[in-house]
Amino acid sequence: MTTIPSQSTGPGKQQMLLDPGMDLTLRPMRYPHFFDRFKDAIKNTWTVEEVDLHGDLADLAKLSPAEQHLVSRLVAFFATGDTIVANNLVLNLYQHVNSPEGRLYLSRQLFEEAVHVQFYLNLLDTYVPDLAERTAAFSAVENIPSIARKAEFCFKWIDSIYEMRSLQTREDRRAFLLNVICFAACIEGLFFYGAFAYVYFLRSRGVLQGLASGTNWVFRDESMHMAFAFDVVDTVRAEEPGLFDAEMAQQVRDMLAEAVECEVQFAADLLDQGISGMSLPDMREYLQHVADRRLAVLGIEPMYGSGNPFAFMELQDVQELSNFFERRVSAYQVGVTGSVSFDDDF
Amino acid sequence: MPVKQVMRVLKRNGDSEPVDVNKIVKAVELWVADLDEVDPLRVATRTISGLYDGATTAELDKLSIQTAAELTGEEPQYSKLAARLLAAFVDKEVRGQGVASFSQSIRYAHQQGLVGDSTAEFVARNARKLDVAIDPSGDLRFEYFGLRTVADRYLLRHPDTRLVVETPQYWLLRVACGLSQTANEAIGFYKLMSSLAYLPSSPTLFNSGTRHTQMSSCFLVDSPKDELDSIYERYHQVAKLSKFSGGIGISWSRVRGRGALIRGTNGRSNGIVPFLKTLDAGVAAVNQGGRRKGAACVYLEPWHPDIEEFLDLRDNTGEDSRRTHNLNLANWIPDEFMRRVEADGDWSLIDPSDAPELPDLFGDEFDLAYRAAEKNAVKTVKARDLYGRMMRTLAQTGNGWMTFKDPSNRLSNQTGRPGNTIHLSNLCTEILEVNTNDETAVCNLGSINLGAHLRDGDVDWEKLRATVRTAVVFLDRVIDINYYPAEQAAASNPRWRPVGLGLMGLQDAFFTLGLPFDSAAAKELSTRVQEDIYLTALEASAGLAEQFGPHPAYQETRASDGALHPDLWGATVSQTERWATLKERVATTGLRNSLLIAIAPTATIASIAGCYECIEPQVSNLFKRETMSGEFLQINTYLVRELKARGLWTAPVREQIRRAEGSVQGITELPADVRELFRTAWELPQKALIDLAAARAAFIDQSQSLNLFMSVPTIGKVSSMYLYAWKAGLKTTYYLRSRPATRIQQATVAVLPALTPAPQAEADAEALACSLENPESCEACQ
Repeated sequence: MTTIPSQSTGPGKQQMLLDPGMDLTLRPMRYPHFFDRFKDAIKNTWTVEEVDLHGDLADLAKLSPAEQHLVSRLVAFFATGDTIVANNLVLNLYQHVNSPEGRLYLSRQLFEEAVHVQFYLNLLDTYVPDLAERTAAFSAVENIPSIARKAEFCFKWIDSIYEMRSLQTREDRRAFLLNVICFAACIEGLFFYGAFAYVYFLRSRGVLQGLASGTNWVFRDESMHMAFAFDVVDTVRAEEPGLFDAEMAQQVRDMLAEAVECEVQFAADLLDQGISGMSLPDMREYLQHVADRRLAVLGIEPMYGSGNPFAFMELQDVQELSNFFERRVSAYQVGVTGSVSFDDDF
Repeated sequence: MPVKQVMRVLKRNGDSEPVDVNKIVKAVELWVADLDEVDPLRVATRTISGLYDGATTAELDKLSIQTAAELTGEEPQYSKLAARLLAAFVDKEVRGQGVASFSQSIRYAHQQGLVGDSTAEFVARNARKLDVAIDPSGDLRFEYFGLRTVADRYLLRHPDTRLVVETPQYWLLRVACGLSQTANEAIGFYKLMSSLAYLPSSPTLFNSGTRHTQMSSCFLVDSPKDELDSIYERYHQVAKLSKFSGGIGISWSRVRGRGALIRGTNGRSNGIVPFLKTLDAGVAAVNQGGRRKGAACVYLEPWHPDIEEFLDLRDNTGEDSRRTHNLNLANWIPDEFMRRVEADGDWSLIDPSDAPELPDLFGDEFDLAYRAAEKNAVKTVKARDLYGRMMRTLAQTGNGWMTFKDPSNRLSNQTGRPGNTIHLSNLCTEILEVNTNDETAVCNLGSINLGAHLRDGDVDWEKLRATVRTAVVFLDRVIDINYYPAEQAAASNPRWRPVGLGLMGLQDAFFTLGLPFDSAAAKELSTRVQEDIYLTALEASAGLAEQFGPHPAYQETRASDGALHPDLWGATVSQTERWATLKERVATTGLRNSLLIAIAPTATIASIAGCYECIEPQVSNLFKRETMSGEFLQINTYLVRELKARGLWTAPVREQIRRAEGSVQGITELPADVRELFRTAWELPQKALIDLAAARAAFIDQSQSLNLFMSVPTIGKVSSMYLYAWKAGLKTTYYLRSRPATRIQQATVAVLPALTPAPQAEADAEALACSLENPESCEACQ
């Protein structure tokens, strides 16, 4: 990609986030909140080696066939999910978010997606010792219909702006916003949040702690990705009021409705053999509830009015306290700053 | 939500029948006599909503337990309900194997090779008396998390079917019988445990009465000698100790550092890190009978040449062959180091092969030897730079605990004669005992639940003393019955007979009595309680010495010179007459135990007892526990009671608390004094925690597991805090707890008003730094 400095803007016209170009100027910083997100993300660096999967193998053997089916479908989804998100980031987002501090965050996000890919790679290598089965799991997007359906949805939205080299018109920018919203609200915000529920369901039953702790860190990252994407959307809306109009709101609703249906058919596959404590109607209600929340962030009226049926999801909203004899504590920060002093308040 | 027409369940005999909501309601109603806030129909309908067609009745039972437990966040009584449904489930499982009484359960478990011969015989001899001693209402006292933990990990299981072969009450009586000489003694001890007023530590609860009666919690292994055979002997010893549930502290200060000459081969040493990597793998490989993972803490003195690499061992980046993800790390710090930090002086790193005597010295002798060895220093650093690195490790990993060698030795009953040195603390920094190459120190522990010793707005002092007396007898008993997995441990324990009587539920007492954690009254009470516990424990130990004689190494202790622990501190005591009488008694009879008090973290047994951990403030009014048994929502029942009394226990208030991650500081409807009482560990000044610990320290002859809390640590704050802790005279500290910089987006609290206007460039920079860099401490945003 060539580096095209931003078109110089006259004193009367303020430069905007989606203006075509490759802005290189960090000072004065136009979007310090993007930079803060970048710094915060660095503090939560984790590595795959920290996740201890050895207890999971014993658990896997103990699971019922119905639960094993659920887990094998779930990890097959994970095998490719983060790679898809990373591709969209590189192919679409990085190109058009024309702010060096925003691109810093996206670079960091790309690194995190790569760590997630590595984590799930390691997970599958550990969970699926049989080479043929492992190959099948990694090609789930092709041969497992419920996963292929979700992948199709993602590719459709990647392709929607893939040909666009720069955002020249209002329509271009609208198409771009829809892509951002799709990845934030539908893919990271719904597909992954669906997966989130299965993992936490298992964890609330005390099994697959390794999967849960790694996924916990993955979701901590994903939450930040989503927040950044919505921050981009808010920023663009503030800079160009009227861009996000009633027609676009309707497009978002349609897109989310389709995503919910994709995820429900995936749930129907996962829960096919009956899982006590996680019924398909409850899962549908949960997905609708999550979709309503995404709409709320965008300032759109809820479509479903559904509540959260899963009490174990409430557990994710409170502080954790691990017994260190049993679990590795995940609550620490990296990148602590300052120098030795003896009179600070504490 | 409406139930679909034809949902069926599969019964144990293979028949299927339609799910009947009334049947579930009836099963729940059996247990709710004293739980007026529980709605059985709600539990039943929610259970059915999660069910699938064709589920088994066992799945249905389990789901109803889980469903009840999940309602705890709205109403704490559901935790009791879930516990009772679980107790009924366990009871059914035990009875289903033809076990109808305590003595039958012991006989059955003995046949399966689980219970030891002597306990089986003891129970057979006293069967009738013991069987009627079982308190059927005992299970009603458990909260769900406690009983779940018991059921998943403490109850004995059939080796093949994995079904539990004892009920919770049978388990406690089995533990008591394993330590008793008469039926009455066993019944007395059982009643104390069943009331949840006192519990011995997990290894005792796991193993008492079984075939492998390893009941000690802590082992303190001296550093391997600076030679290969000794290092590999230590791996073996650690593995054996770990296998039977012991937590390991091990020093590594005697082993030469990287670059030191190895004469035998004329090569250069790779230092201690590769050896610790091997230890790391060894510890991970041993899982304690599937009940918990092995755990060890490595201690190193800060003059060791590899100290800087040591501090990096827990980093999550860098070369993985130089990282130990399973080991805990602690610094064993001489005062000389802290003095140089304060004075901004230099600090010499010295190879142990050049000064092999350093680990055995403390006080002036250490200072002299260290200064003499400095001329051969491998490297010189600024003391403050090294201290700063220690602080960074603490802030980034919570590990690298600060423990202080000189006060630990100076203020110990065991170090009264030359050659007796404490070389390290243990896995949880509350045990301080001498050891040598051939003697591995051992300690068995138990903790008093202070919350269960209150009456009429005060501590029930007589009850507390009675508990201490019983506890000391049974802690002492463990020493003789214990199975020692390593000969070095068997060599030490009978000589010194140390025990560690601890305390838990201090926060419960403060809540009940309405004392904010940092109030003067709280400090006064905590000190008075500790003085009384220690005094009573010493009296009990003197009583045992009258019966059985003092412990064999008594003549080596400071007590034999007439100095008891408060004398070493020069502390003022409040019960002067009792202390004077005790001293006279000790002068003639000696003591049965060289050490008596240690405040352990009580992570698991506090859960079983349903109280707050050891001497700690609450971490949050609403949090979850993650353990091998799953995740559990924990809510502050004292707060719920307070809110209910004010008519404030409403859905919006609950939502506010959830949004604020368990803080009530933003609930303006609560008066200031109530908000002050219900502050969390993150909201309390840490100075107060240190001051409380220092004030009670004169009455703790070992030490205390003192965690410190800082949401967003900086090097400046942390370094100030630990200098203060050292100056306050603390012997040891434990984890530095902090909170993640970012968090998973909350999934169940309402989305805040949508579309806040995007911040304008460079405006509001201050507000942004506050909300994004300090998500935890900024009240405005919560």
